[in-house]
Amino acid sequence: MNLDDELKAALRREPAPADFAAKVLAKTTLAKTTLAKTRGSQARVLPFWRPPVTLAIAAALTLAALVPPAVYRYREQRRALEARDQLIAALSITKVQLQHVRERIQNTRHKI
Amino acid sequence: MKTALILFAAAIPAFAQQNFDFKSLDKLGANATGSTNITLEGDTLKLATSFLGDDNSSFRNLTGVYVRSFEFAKAGQYKEADLAPLRAYLKTLQWTKVVDVKETDETSEIYLHALPNNKLGGLAIVSAEPKEVTVVFIAGTLNISDVGKLSGLGIPDIKLEHGGAKSNDSKKD
Repeated sequence: MNLDDELKAALRREPAPADFAAKVLAKTTLAKTTLAKTRGSQARVLPFWRPPVTLAIAAALTLAALVPPAVYRYREQRRALEARDQLIAALSITKVQLQHVRERIQNTRHKI
Repeated sequence: MKTALILFAAAIPAFAQQNFDFKSLDKLGANATGSTNITLEGDTLKLATSFLGDDNSSFRNLTGVYVRSFEFAKAGQYKEADLAPLRAYLKTLQWTKVVDVKETDETSEIYLHALPNNKLGGLAIVSAEPKEVTVVFIAGTLNISDVGKLSGLGIPDIKLEHGGAKSNDSKKD
């Protein structure tokens, strides 16, 4: 067999099998269905507002909104209690001094 | 001339109402072994009085509470002259010295700032002993009876723990 015949034999046109078109259509449909299913399941697990980054940002914003007022309230309360203690100390010293003066006046009267 | 006199007359009470600078008393404690400094005024004082409870509501009209108490290791470690600015301030028209007890080396003075209707605009106590000097200055409206009640108002006896750590300035001078 010469080269011409070999080429002709290799390139000769052969008819497609009878179920070729049906098989191709079936595979295409299956691929489309699988793709749609995958996309659908992804959409159910992670909607657009639920990716981890969005959640992290939301958590950070919530913390940023809640923590500073709580810290401020705690500091204010602590400052108030310290101030109250100082006022009580000041009034106590005043009381002691007033009593001291009263005792001195009484002592002076006794001497007279 | 008439205008000048009016201005001068108006300036006298304005001068008298000027607040005393308690920094000037800090010199007293230069050689102190122990000190108690308390300065309460403005919002801090309001905050403090709001936490005192209803029994002590009469103290809610205070505008300033200042305590300077210094203790010394030996006699003669502070100058009487350092009390002079305060005494000069307390000699202004508003204040009246109601008690003045002088013993050999101790003096106790009580000054009141009298207001109409049995009210006080302030109370000042100056107590000077050889090894201890205490100044108490309370500004704001008080009933005269409140001063008398001070010993019965549930204000606890607090032992003064002298020392740097007990320097309780709420407002840094």
